[in-house]
Amino acid sequence: MKDKEKRKLRGDVEGNARALATGFKYLVEPNRMTLDYPVESMKLAPNYRGFFTVDDKKCIGCSMCEMVCPPEAITMIPRVVSPTGETLPVQEGASQEAGAKPAKKTKRPVVNWGRCIYCYFCFDICPVDAFVRSNVHDLAYYNDADYRPSYEGYLKLPEDPVKKSKKVVPRPDMKRGIKYEPAP
Amino acid sequence: MNLNEKVYDISEAGSIEPEGDRTIALQIGPSHPGSGHMRIKTRMDGDIITKVDADIGFVHRTSEWLSERRQFIKAIPIVERIMLPDTVHANLAYVLALEKILNIEPPPRAQYLRSLAAEINRITSHLYGIGIFGIFLGSSTVYMWAFGDREPFIDLMEMLTGARITNSYIVPGGVRWEMPKGFKEKAESTLQYMENRFNDYNDIWAKNPVVEARTVNVGVVDRNRAISLGVVGPNLRASGVDYDTRKASPYAAYKDIDFEVPKMNHGDSYDRLLIRIEEIKQSIRIIRQILKDMPEGKIIADSIYSQLNPVMKKVFEQEQRVMFPAFFNQMRPAAAESIARVEAGRGEIFFYLKTNGDKYPYRFRWVTPSFRNLAYFSDVAVGYRLADLPAIYGSIDYFPPEADR
Amino acid sequence: MGILLLIIWLIQDLLYLIVFPGLVVAMVLVILLIYLERKIAAKVQMRYGPLYVSRKVGGALQSVSDLLRFSFQEFILPIGSDSIAFLMAPGFMFAFAMMPLIFIPVGPYYSYLFPSTLTILFSVALITITPIYAIIVGWASDNKFSFIGSLREAFLVISYEIPLLLSVIAMVIVYRTLNYIPAVAFQETHLPGIILNPIAALVFIIVAIRSTGRFPFDITEADSELIMGLYTEYSALFFGIGMATPYIELYALSLIFSLLFLGGWWPVSIHATGLLAGLFLPGIIVIIKAFIVMMVLVFLRAVYPRYRVDQAVRSGWERIIYLGIIAVIISILEVIII
Repeated sequence: MKDKEKRKLRGDVEGNARALATGFKYLVEPNRMTLDYPVESMKLAPNYRGFFTVDDKKCIGCSMCEMVCPPEAITMIPRVVSPTGETLPVQEGASQEAGAKPAKKTKRPVVNWGRCIYCYFCFDICPVDAFVRSNVHDLAYYNDADYRPSYEGYLKLPEDPVKKSKKVVPRPDMKRGIKYEPAP
Repeated sequence: MNLNEKVYDISEAGSIEPEGDRTIALQIGPSHPGSGHMRIKTRMDGDIITKVDADIGFVHRTSEWLSERRQFIKAIPIVERIMLPDTVHANLAYVLALEKILNIEPPPRAQYLRSLAAEINRITSHLYGIGIFGIFLGSSTVYMWAFGDREPFIDLMEMLTGARITNSYIVPGGVRWEMPKGFKEKAESTLQYMENRFNDYNDIWAKNPVVEARTVNVGVVDRNRAISLGVVGPNLRASGVDYDTRKASPYAAYKDIDFEVPKMNHGDSYDRLLIRIEEIKQSIRIIRQILKDMPEGKIIADSIYSQLNPVMKKVFEQEQRVMFPAFFNQMRPAAAESIARVEAGRGEIFFYLKTNGDKYPYRFRWVTPSFRNLAYFSDVAVGYRLADLPAIYGSIDYFPPEADR
Repeated sequence: MGILLLIIWLIQDLLYLIVFPGLVVAMVLVILLIYLERKIAAKVQMRYGPLYVSRKVGGALQSVSDLLRFSFQEFILPIGSDSIAFLMAPGFMFAFAMMPLIFIPVGPYYSYLFPSTLTILFSVALITITPIYAIIVGWASDNKFSFIGSLREAFLVISYEIPLLLSVIAMVIVYRTLNYIPAVAFQETHLPGIILNPIAALVFIIVAIRSTGRFPFDITEADSELIMGLYTEYSALFFGIGMATPYIELYALSLIFSLLFLGGWWPVSIHATGLLAGLFLPGIIVIIKAFIVMMVLVFLRAVYPRYRVDQAVRSGWERIIYLGIIAVIISILEVIII
């Protein structure tokens, strides 16, 4: 109650003057925090959760990632193991070749980027730590179909769409909160 | 022009005026800059509000249903998504309920990290509320400032968890990532920056004569009324009730932390405005303590750690990243029920989890703070002017998706 | 010969009316002002403001592109609206907002289409016409929010017009003329009006903020309550006209303020002759002064939220009107003493 009385006593004049002075202070000395995005973009920390892919040789096709995926973005597609250790697409009729040793069947994950929420549960459930992370995150596709890459498409990590821009890193700053400094 | 002639909303019987009624119906929302994702059905006698009926449910996303039809671990991202400004608290509340069923006790360091994330999140949540209140009263500067000042704290969360908002940081048994190097220094300078800004917030916002004129003695809820309406969180404390779940039933690391629960006396919009600033100050104090007193140790319970395979243990040694044991995928807790209460930015989250030995929860009931603060609507604004409606609505810091679930 | 003089006189007047300081200059200034308003607010608010349209000049063409967008947007006529009033009212509003400019001289040798010695009276009288059309706009829209907006406009107009007239009367008493040019001459030989009667200047500024809907009196368009107030149902060019009208009013009021209170074309003598010193320089000085006043008023957007309508009306009747009366008393005392 006393507070309110004091506030009244302090009067409108001082309040208005202080508000105007503060506004003017920031007009003269702006504390701009905006990142001028396509011209400069952030160099993200290595632990940033962005697009990711899977190490084809490490993956054992156990489907744990498919099971843990909360938005059900991961699907396991059937593959066959080639002699070099990499996987190849399953070819119909290939197994019927006489004399040939039947190729070992396996499965590999593919992520539907339209569903993925980047929670990285798949990363952490993977018993062989086969996923490879990147901190590319600012990417969009033209068509719905492009959000569902083929396995070969999924293996390549997408390129940073703003890699030509000036890379900056955020630093805490006493005046502006965040100041963007050129990345080392 | 007869104002009562056209009633566009025929679905609402309340829109049609009884004979001789001098009030008019005003449908604020669902697509209105001052309504959020809801419709506020008001009746106006001149400029005075005679009836307010909040029509919610426009952003109902069946989140409870979704979480009841998935494995337990998958509910973590789902609970986060109902309250985006408050993700850590939602995550924490669910994990607390689940841990009680699974009988897992997280180690002290994980408790501290949980409190750290929760307090950073409380600051961002309150800044969000301050910003929305600002634009409701027409002060675009406070709106931009609050959302801008939220950014350093979101940046801290990004450093800690690798994501800005939907962190999914807390899992049964502990937290997923260790505090990175350089976090303490960055957090300290961010806190100092925020402390320096309070003066400017006072000048432009809290002590601005126009804000005082708009909010003082507007939407007054006294102590008893607030208790009987079942209001929670900062709104309850603005009415003079000294209740905070962090003190009443401490969770995470709050037992060991020394902090005050700010409270106001009047319960008007101005007090609800001030209490958020006071709580940010307390959160800053808590974060400082946590960073100082953080105990050493593992960030994950031993019962979880022992289930990791050698590859995962190696990853944990190298990167301080907790991987999930296969157990997380095949959780089948025995039939049990548990509750969790967490003091989120907007008030107390109450989660009730019941299991029946199946892969999925039998029932997962969410009571969110915004839903409980909704009780304010039909009661408080009556008798005030139309222009007071944003001043009351904004001060409650109501977040429709959180209430609709 | 007589006919030729008449034609020259007419052309000159049309030039004044349409080019300088009339329509063209007003529009250019308004476009510039809207851009600067957004930039000023952005500076205070931690951001860039308009930038992407014409990045090389800092987004200065943003308002032009907005104008083009309004011009080519689809216009929607609401079914329930009073269509004639709905279509006509914004045009009239804009025209009446422009009209005071006819009577506002921007130089000592400025002549008018309608020569008069009562220019102060006429210009202030014309300023008070615009709100009537604002009320018609709200009525014709057949929308409860527009209607509430126009009611608020009506309340505010009534409570703030008297202080406006009082502050002008206070200055008229000091200058002992109803004509702008002798008023400026008086300030040249004595002191600028803002020093002669600061209370009147304060009242005039507050009323200027009010009648052009700047913050903290952005009450008729309060978007968190009334969506867009009067212009809720408007789209396309009609909305653009509605948006530009308060800025034109602001221009007219700022011109009056700089003539009545800031000494008009003060550094240039009223007796200066020649094309440059007599015609162009005074005009430029007055417009620069007016522009500075406009910038100060739009800066308030970055500082204040908005008042409630009843508070604004109450302060109009309980405070501002007494300030106006005090201003008149000060003027009378000054006249008696001097």
